[in-house]
This record gives sequence, structure tokens and C-alpha cells, in this order.
Amino acid sequence: MQRTSIRLGTALVGIVTALSLVTACGGGDGDKKKDAGAGPAAGGGPAQKQELSFWSWTKGTQEVVDAFNKSHPDIQVKYEQIPSGNAGGYAKMSNAVKAGNAPDVLTIEYPQLPDFVSQGAVQDITSKVSGLKSKFPASVNKLTELGGKTWAVPLDAAPMALYYRKDFFTDHNIAVPKTWDEYRAAAEQVKKADPNARIGTFYPDDPSTMAGLTWQAGGAWFGTEGESWKVSLTDPNSRKVGEYWNKLVSDDLVRVQPSFSQQWNADLKSGGTVGIVGASWSAGVLKSSQPDLAGKWAVAPLPDWGTPANAMLGGSTFAVSKDSKKSKAALTFIEWMTTTKEGISARIASGTSSAYPAATELVPTASQFFDTGYFGKQDIYPLFTDAAGKVGAGWTWGPSMTQTNTILKDQFGKLSSGGTIVGALEEAQKTTVEELKKRGISVK
Amino acid sequence: MNTSLRAGRRRRKTTAALFLTPFYVLFIATMIVPIGYAIWLSLFTEKTSGLGFGGTRRVFTGLGNYADALGDDKFRDGFIAIGLYCLLYIPIMVGAALVLALLLDSALARARRFFQLALFLPHAVPGIIAALIWVYLYTPGLSPIIDLLESGGLHWDFLASDTALFSIVNIATWEWIGYNMIIFYAALQAIPREVVEAATVDGAGPVRIAVSVKIPMIRAAVAMTMLFTIIGSLQLFTEPSILSDANPAVGSSWTPNMYAYSAAFRANDFGLAAAASVLLAVFAAALSFGVTRLSSGRRTA
Repeated sequence: MQRTSIRLGTALVGIVTALSLVTACGGGDGDKKKDAGAGPAAGGGPAQKQELSFWSWTKGTQEVVDAFNKSHPDIQVKYEQIPSGNAGGYAKMSNAVKAGNAPDVLTIEYPQLPDFVSQGAVQDITSKVSGLKSKFPASVNKLTELGGKTWAVPLDAAPMALYYRKDFFTDHNIAVPKTWDEYRAAAEQVKKADPNARIGTFYPDDPSTMAGLTWQAGGAWFGTEGESWKVSLTDPNSRKVGEYWNKLVSDDLVRVQPSFSQQWNADLKSGGTVGIVGASWSAGVLKSSQPDLAGKWAVAPLPDWGTPANAMLGGSTFAVSKDSKKSKAALTFIEWMTTTKEGISARIASGTSSAYPAATELVPTASQFFDTGYFGKQDIYPLFTDAAGKVGAGWTWGPSMTQTNTILKDQFGKLSSGGTIVGALEEAQKTTVEELKKRGISVK
Repeated sequence: MNTSLRAGRRRRKTTAALFLTPFYVLFIATMIVPIGYAIWLSLFTEKTSGLGFGGTRRVFTGLGNYADALGDDKFRDGFIAIGLYCLLYIPIMVGAALVLALLLDSALARARRFFQLALFLPHAVPGIIAALIWVYLYTPGLSPIIDLLESGGLHWDFLASDTALFSIVNIATWEWIGYNMIIFYAALQAIPREVVEAATVDGAGPVRIAVSVKIPMIRAAVAMTMLFTIIGSLQLFTEPSILSDANPAVGSSWTPNMYAYSAAFRANDFGLAAAASVLLAVFAAALSFGVTRLSSGRRTA
């Protein structure tokens, strides 16, 4: 008798433990209410000094905020560094918006902006930023205008570029590739020159590089026709790019490693990886993560498919969160960060950022404040300007990129066990359309 | 006489209520309310229209989210992954913890305190930290372990698609072996010494005593550990999510818990996430009920 009751007790304890652990995950967003509540409380004081909260991870942000606070005594920005978007930053921001304690200013990259807009997480700022539009190129404005309204202000335009180890290429007489055919040939030469070296990396965790390369090739994963979406992850250009990289992977000409992972950094450091297909901001990443390799890296235009073309890889925008009551001050801050000389120079002078300003007239400022010592005095900004001019205007990010990227990422993970990139695109096409329809979004 | 008895009983009742209230307040606030909220959430979904930029509205779907979760291969695959994980993890971890506990309990053991503490220490490291440390140790070019293996002519890729399961089991074993060893050791210490002495007098060696006397006597502790380990395994989340950053073969919904996380924080589908969590809880409850029934059944037979 006593024994059975002990058994029953154990079972009950088991059930309760299981349930509590399970719901601990579901209820997690409730915890954050407390810590964020403390921030904005000080804002409405009689001194008319407004306090803005701001979450970001872009390089050089601390320096930008310090400079802003110094020159704007009436608005004080409280900056909190959060993990980069895909590393958990987006989840953190979405949760905070849902819980009603989001900061006033959010950092959102172009691909994820539609996600945040469709969640209703950011404010419509169309009427407040109409004056800024002319400062940005049309291809960039297109990415912040969704459904005919403007939702965010862009910081950088992030054209793509090829980074390579100049010393390695010179020592082994390898020409810097100008086309993707030459890139493959160079990849073979790199491997031949040093069996332990590879020209680049395929990032199975980060489909945005694949998206950028597809954009460059003239593909368009998403598009709108009237009030409907068109999803075409498997159009001929997407397939072409997918097959090209698949072949590089299966022939062991590139590494397969998560982006910014320890493995990736370790191989860059040891000289096992001698190239990066990246964007303008990669220069800052290289500088701050591989300081020992100063003077050894150089930048070249991204190889193309025969006709000059480029695309954007990442790039950040700033948006005002749904519940912010200080949108005016928030936009003052955002405008200062993105479209003034002071804002851009503070960021670049931090030494960690190589952002290519979306505001075209500020490119010379960025160029002036960027220390090119790391790249052996190579003037990299004119190269970015040239690249930015070649960015095709036909690209639109889908309404649920985080989800589409998750599907792609899961499928890319199967590359080492028989999966293919085109197979991943097909799966993502199918699942994305299903998910969009399930949410009530119109898909053609 | 009668009144003082009644007053005493009343006082005892008040005291009991006083002692029980904090438990029930906490129980309701941290257990019943969140579970109720999760069930409530699981009955709704968010719908939008057109391009999706016109805002969302909340729609009641009944059991729609449950049907979606159960109909999703990724959710079901999570349970298969957990099953495989348990098949590998439980024998290794429980077996090793048992062997270590028996060694500590044997008459031969020296420096018991030291080994108890040293073996328990990994459990004091939070799961996330442990997983990060191990990811470092799994990374070629950084890991001293891989260097050591290579110098011995051994090549082992901890981050390959077919070694992912083993790499996760290894982290979990490292974390939990000491904890379970302490439970077994405590149970072994509770065995009456006369029984062991009697077995020794009867001519049983240390191995025989361990297998035929000690293990049967701590069977209840072993069964309980297994139960908790299985339930704990169903909750598997931290180690594979950290590892998924280094090993793309560990996908975003590798375990049911990761599926729920991914649904909530990547796809913003809180209804589906809640439904998946409730299903997982029901599964865990059913499993623990089954396991306890099974072990108590064996006991009476």
C-alpha cells in the first residue's frame, strides 16, 4: 500500500516536472517585462529631457550613441548591445514587442524588415521621413517601402565584394577572378598550391549569401503582383547559382562552415581560408576579428556571370517600435545616425565599422574616416561605390524571410549527407508557399 | 475539555493552512497559470491578408494547431531523434554512473571525498556554458582533444552530420554522470552493512556482491533516475541548440522543444509553439505514468 503511494507520488512528481519544464519555454517572454520596464520610466520628467532606448549590434554603435548624446542634451539615448539578428537578436526584439516593452529604436536588416512589418512590430513612418527619401538610391528605398508605406530608415547599402589574401594569391601566381568561371578555376589553383587551403566558404547557416548571389545573377526569390506575392526560389537563375555552389562544395573546393563560427575564424587565422565572398561591412569584420592579418588582405569586385552586376548582402535599417511614444525623438536620432556627417563619421572612426552609407552623399565622409591600413592602404570605398552602382533593382525580400531562411538552413545542413542546394531551394519554395497561405497571405 | 479539543483542532487547521498556502500560491502562479495560458494560446492562430502588411488578427482554430504539429514531419522527427538519443545516452550515462558509484562504495576506494566532488563538479557548470566549452573542444584547429587524437593518428570529426548525436550524448553524459552517481552512492550507503558482511562470509567476491546484492537493493533509485533521465531527455534543448551553431546538421527543430522554440521565435507562430509544448507535456506525462506502472508492476511480481 505504502509502496504504491510512493510510486504514484513519483509519477506525479514526474508529470509536474515535465509540465513545468515544457511551459517554462512557452512562458519565457513574460520574464522580460520587469527589466525593460525600468528604462523608459525616466523619460517623461519635467526637465523635458527625453530618454530613448535603442537595441543594436552593428559595429561602432557605442561611439555613435556617445557622440549623439554629447551633441543632443535634450535627447539621451540608452544603448543596449544585443546579439546580432540571426544569433537571437530578432527573437529578442519580437518578444519584447509582443510583451509591450520593446525599445524605441530597433535595428532590422533588410531581409527581416517585412517580417517585422507583417507582425505589426514597427510604426508606419511614411509621412515623417518623406524628406529623407531623396538621399537614398531607389534600390534601397524599395527595400524599406512595403505595401506602399515606409517603415524604416536605411543605414548602409552593403554591396557585395570579394576579399582575398593578397600575399597568397601573389605568391602562387593566382589571378584575382573576375567571373564565376574564373573563380572556380582560382579555387582549383588555390587547392593545388596548398592542399590545406580553400578559396572560400559556403555558409550552410546563412542563406543570405546565397540570396545575394542569386540577386546578382538576376534572380528574384520574391516579388509582388498587385496584392499577391510571387515566390520563385527555384527560377532558372536561382538554380544556376545553387548548382554552381553545389559543385564547388561537392568537389571540395570551398569549405562548409557556419558563418562567423569558431571554425571559420580559426581557418582564416591559420591561412586555411584565403578568401571571403562578403559585403562592404566584411572589411570591418575582418579588421576586428583578424587583427594579426593586417596588410595581407585586399578587396576586389565580386566576380560576375559575364555582365557587370552586383547585389546587397545584409545591410541594416532602423525602425521605431510599435508602442514607442517618442517617435519624434526616435526619428531625430535615426536621421542623425544615418544621414549626417557626424553620425557616419562617428561610426567609421570607431575603427570597427566599414559600413557603406545608404545616403550616397556621405560615402566620401565614410571613405575619409576609414583607416585603410589593414588593407595595405587600398582605397576600398571607391570599389564599393562602383559595386553599389551595379546593384540590380529587381529584388524584394519575402514576407517571412526568417522562416524561409530557417527552412533553407535546415536543408543546407543536409549537404554533407546527400542533400543538394537546389533540393533545399525546392523544399523552401514548397514550404514557404504553404506557410504564407496558412497565414492568409495571398500567393500567386 | 471538548471545546479545548475543538480549538486545538482549529488551531492545527490554521497552522496547516498557513504552511500550505505559500506552496499553493506558488504552485498556481508558476504551474497552473502558465499551463492554462499555453493551452489557451494553442487554440488561436494569427491571420493576415493580401501582402501581409495590413496587420494581423487573432482567429480561434480549435485543435487546428495540434493537427498542424502532429502532421508536421519535423515535429515527429524530433521524437525519433530523442528516441535515438535515449537509446545511446541512458545505457552509457546510467551504466557509467552506477559503475562509478559501486567503485566509490567498494572497500577498495581511496580518496572518496575527492572523487565524489571531482565527478560532481561538471554538474555545477550551467548547461549553456558546458555546451559552449564542448563546442570549443569539438572545433578542429582549436581543440586540444582533436590535436591529441590526430597526434595519435586518429581522425574524428565531432561536427560531422553522422557524429552529431554522439557529440550531444557526450556533453549530456559529462554533465549528468556525477549527479546520478551521487544518487546511487547515497542509496548504496543506505544498504545495511550486515547484508554485505553476510554475503562476504558466504564467500561472495566484490563483483558478485555488487551484481547480486548491491544493485538489486538500489533498484528503486536506478528506476527513478531512469524516469527522470527520460523526462529530462524529452526536454533536450540547450546542448543541441548551442551545437547547431557549429554543426549545421543539427537543424532548427532537432528536438520537439527546439521545434516549439523555432515556431515561436523564428516563425512567430505562438499558437503552434504552444500546441507543440502541450503535446510534449502530455507525451511526457503519459510516458512517466507508463514507466512507473511498469516498474511497480515488476516489483509486485
